[in-house]
Amino acid sequence: MNSQSQSQSQSQRRKNFKIEAFKHKVELDPKYAERTWKVLEHAIHEIYNNNASRLSFEELYRSAYNMVLHKYGDKLYSGLVATMTAHLNKIAKSVESAQGGLFLEKLNHKWADHNKALQMIRDILMYMDRSYVPTSHKTPVHELGLNLWRDHIIHSPNIQARLQDTLLDLVQRERTGDVINRGLMRNITKMLMDLGSSVYQDDFEKPFLDVSASFYSGESQQFIECCDCGSYLKKAERRLNEEMERVSHYLDAKTEVKITSAVEREMIANHMQRLVHMDNSGLVNMLIDDKYDDLSRMYSLFKRVPEGLSTIRDVMTSYLRERGRVLVTDTERLKDPVEFVQCLLNEKDKHDKIISTAFNNDKTFQNALNSSFEYFINLNNRSPEFISLYLDDKLRKGLKGASEEEVEVVLDKVMMLFRYLQEKDVFEKYYKQHLAKRLLSGKTVSDDAERSMIVKLKTECGYQFTSKLEGMFTDMKTSEDTMLDFYAKQSAELGDGPTLAVQILTTGSWPTQLTAACNLPPEILTVCEKFRTYYLGTHSGRRLTWQTNMGTADIKATFGKGHKHELNVSTYQMCVLMLFNSADGLTYREIEQATEIPALDLKRCLQSLACVKGKNVLRKEPMSKDISEEDVFYFNDKFTSKFVKVKIGTVVAQKESEPEKQETRQRVEEDRKPQIEAAIVRIMKSRRVLDHNSIVAEVTKQLQSRFLPNPVVIKKRIESLIEREFLERDKADRKLYRYLA
Amino acid sequence: MANRDRVRFNVGGQLFETTSTTLANAGRESMLGALLDESWNPGQPEYFIDRNPACFSTLLDLLRTGALHIPSNVPEKLLYREALYYGLLDHVRGAKWGPFDGNTLRLADSVPGRAPGDGTAIRGAPDGGCCVAHGSVVHVYNWMLEERRPISLDYQQVNDVGYIDANSIVITARERLGKGDGGMAVFSAATGELRHRFRVEHGRQPKSFTAGALSLAGLDDHRIFSSCKGRLNEYGIGVWDHNTGQQVDFFYEHPGCSLGDADKLQWLPSKNCLMVATLFPRTDNCFIGLLDLRDKSIPWCWSDAGITMNLEDKRVLHAIAMEDGHSICVINQYDDLGFIDLRAGNTNSAGTGVRWSSRSKLMNQKVPYEESCYPKLATHNGQLFSCMNDSISVFSGSEHVLTSTLRRSYGGSICDFSIGGDRLFALHNEENVFDVWDSPPCPII
Repeated sequence: MNSQSQSQSQSQRRKNFKIEAFKHKVELDPKYAERTWKVLEHAIHEIYNNNASRLSFEELYRSAYNMVLHKYGDKLYSGLVATMTAHLNKIAKSVESAQGGLFLEKLNHKWADHNKALQMIRDILMYMDRSYVPTSHKTPVHELGLNLWRDHIIHSPNIQARLQDTLLDLVQRERTGDVINRGLMRNITKMLMDLGSSVYQDDFEKPFLDVSASFYSGESQQFIECCDCGSYLKKAERRLNEEMERVSHYLDAKTEVKITSAVEREMIANHMQRLVHMDNSGLVNMLIDDKYDDLSRMYSLFKRVPEGLSTIRDVMTSYLRERGRVLVTDTERLKDPVEFVQCLLNEKDKHDKIISTAFNNDKTFQNALNSSFEYFINLNNRSPEFISLYLDDKLRKGLKGASEEEVEVVLDKVMMLFRYLQEKDVFEKYYKQHLAKRLLSGKTVSDDAERSMIVKLKTECGYQFTSKLEGMFTDMKTSEDTMLDFYAKQSAELGDGPTLAVQILTTGSWPTQLTAACNLPPEILTVCEKFRTYYLGTHSGRRLTWQTNMGTADIKATFGKGHKHELNVSTYQMCVLMLFNSADGLTYREIEQATEIPALDLKRCLQSLACVKGKNVLRKEPMSKDISEEDVFYFNDKFTSKFVKVKIGTVVAQKESEPEKQETRQRVEEDRKPQIEAAIVRIMKSRRVLDHNSIVAEVTKQLQSRFLPNPVVIKKRIESLIEREFLERDKADRKLYRYLA
Repeated sequence: MANRDRVRFNVGGQLFETTSTTLANAGRESMLGALLDESWNPGQPEYFIDRNPACFSTLLDLLRTGALHIPSNVPEKLLYREALYYGLLDHVRGAKWGPFDGNTLRLADSVPGRAPGDGTAIRGAPDGGCCVAHGSVVHVYNWMLEERRPISLDYQQVNDVGYIDANSIVITARERLGKGDGGMAVFSAATGELRHRFRVEHGRQPKSFTAGALSLAGLDDHRIFSSCKGRLNEYGIGVWDHNTGQQVDFFYEHPGCSLGDADKLQWLPSKNCLMVATLFPRTDNCFIGLLDLRDKSIPWCWSDAGITMNLEDKRVLHAIAMEDGHSICVINQYDDLGFIDLRAGNTNSAGTGVRWSSRSKLMNQKVPYEESCYPKLATHNGQLFSCMNDSISVFSGSEHVLTSTLRRSYGGSICDFSIGGDRLFALHNEENVFDVWDSPPCPII
């Protein structure tokens, strides 16, 4: 304490001696506070006038400390408020007087000065901030400085509106291509943020968002009238990026979400429908032309707005369904099943690629694609057959020379189509037929590829689905072993006769038709009988039936001028040709009588022997394309071919003929009956009592991995089960069924 | 470079030389930091400071070494005052005592109480201050153990106190019949002013109530729990958010478990449950339970129903959930510790769930003398503390072995103690004196 206050306290003690002998209260010179404040006030002036270099910090700090210590905190604080306010009013005048473009510069400059001054004032008043401010509910010096700046500068009537207009005008100028002083903008917006988030929001952000929204509303209207979809999206994307860049350069990071959502709303959400459906350039055109960039842009922009992706997805789905429907019902296409399936696969590949490159592999888009395919593939009930035929083609020749990986790729793609099928059991039927033909004719490209396909079907549909297919492979292997054994044991007896290769097929595993065997030539019949004896000798209790309709034969024939050829023919064809060893000409009737080949097969067989150019080992009279029952056939002595080996195919419609198709259908329906019944019984066994609709729903659910059962068929099966007393109708409620154990 | 870094002070006539590097430890938000800031023409040959040189020397050493050594000729209060001048008070506080460890505690101070009558509770503040509740007054002390303006509740009996933060004290008080007062409120520790009153609403009607035991959920969880007794049988546990000041929940008392009279509440974050212990019920049995506030269930509870109550019998007098959340530790009148396993389902059958340690036998069945206080328990960083008579026992390790005993020669038995701000505060019954125990700062080597 200085000497002055001591003398003051002594005089006090003398004065109050009698009353308060020992309680001496230190009263300072009342002028002391005033004088100290003057020093501090002067210092504040000097600081604002940039004359601080002559001030002594220690002295000022001690003065402020003493004022607080001696309970003059109020005086100090209110003095500070008054002095600072006076300075800020002066600053406001000077900012207001700034001309045009200099306005922001001036404001920025003064703001920097104020901040520096505020820091120094706070340094001096640090003790007050620490001890007086918290206990007297006052605002700390720094915050006070900001509040006063806000009230006297930013919210001054001559500055507030002008500042807002200037800022918005600069943004607008930048949007139209001008270069503006971003550093200055940054400082000013930073100032507004420093003054509190509400100042930034009310004085800048809200009007900024409003102005931006109306700007983009107008601009988008203008764009959409004169641009195609692709270039509109490019412009929208560029605007969006510009706004994000603007935020990163001179706005509060929190503004980004708000301004981008305004741009998104004005430029995308409001025009979404119009954009996707735009003539000649909308979504469908992009999909057709594989415009990955445009699609990807549309995806990322639409993703930003509510309902955006679902809009794209819906349009894509309806386009895919329509396109698929046209594809699978196009009668031209139905003529070539391989082409048909290849077309579906190409379609799938194309859109898979679009989804992976442009749509970010979006799961919901993949699902939409899958459901579209599922929808239209099943519109054509021949799809299961065609897919099997496609596989048949690939496994016969299409995959020749392909590497293991390539085979896998093809099979996987086909499996994908298979998954879309509702009637998987129909596919199974056809696949079995086609596989049987491949195996028996030894035409399959690779055993590995066949097995790989079986494994895929097994993982997809379970063991049951493929057990018979696997049985076919086992039969093939066993047959091979049996034949080796047969020839090892019997070669001596057989001598030089024709070589026989028998494939023993387990009944039930193969799609065999019960057809009466034809009459085999005696040479063959002998070997066959020997084999029968051998086989039944080693396997007792079995029955062998010859399936002559499925066999093949290699025969050697000598034509005119000693031309020798090896002919590869079917068993039927062999039987026919063998007849010509003893006769030069035979009528259709004679052939039919001698061989007992069923008429339809015989006609096909004769057609292929007599009517195919280059393979016509028989000559027919009269010459015509079709076989009639009055025709006469001669051995064609003039037959020539540049090949030694000649393969004579059977004229078979690769696709099924109409009656065959009906037959397959019927067999499929027959096979479904026990499956439906089994499902009903399984369900009823566990549920005991159930109403009709629930049964239908449950059965459909259980069987949908194989086929989609028809409710009418289910109803018939239920009735049949009731007849056979597996179920009964509830006495009271006729809609309920009970399980009878 | 070396010269540039050098700074010379003349403090009250005595010369000091140091470096700006050392002074940088004071931070920009201090008087020395501002003094050397470039805005205040630094680089003078010598700075004059009109203050006490001895204190400056001590504070300079604090900046140099990070350790506080107060010479015998410097009064502590003077040093604090000087530290406040320089803005270094937080530095001094940080160097005054070290991280809390029950086994290294030393008696830092004994503060003579001035309130008449029994103390109700003592609580440590997060910054090392404390408050003591006596009757209807709460005496508040800052970390320098200077008394602040007391909080006076106008004859409402204070039941419990707690710190939300160093400057906010929450107090629960008994309602006086017909006055509509009582309840729970937050006060400023610095000024003693009322900041906010927490309300209880039943059916959208605000009700006056008596608030009892108090618990704060924790750091990021802003909930406060208090046992409540309303006049119209609104008994139970009230839950408030101390950020918003609003009531967020109310757990009404189930039959057979007196929640409104609870003596101890403790939030168990690991179980997402509140432990409630009612140890001195008016009618029912002693009850400890875990409340799940989400579905208003009591997933676990224990009661002493069925035990014949002789004075000789072991009675549970205080309970605390262990920090691992696996068990509840209890104590009886013989200073025995007992444990109840929380994982063993409901233990309703006659208090058999308590596994008592046999410490009382070792202590020769010392029958508690009449004027002793009820024992209390506390946990901190895996250590368990219990007070009995005039001493506090410290148990360490997973087996809770007695490792230290804190005792002072006078003051009578300890009626309450609390750990807060790395300090332990023990309130004595007879002399109304409280002791402050803390761990020394890190040793030199």
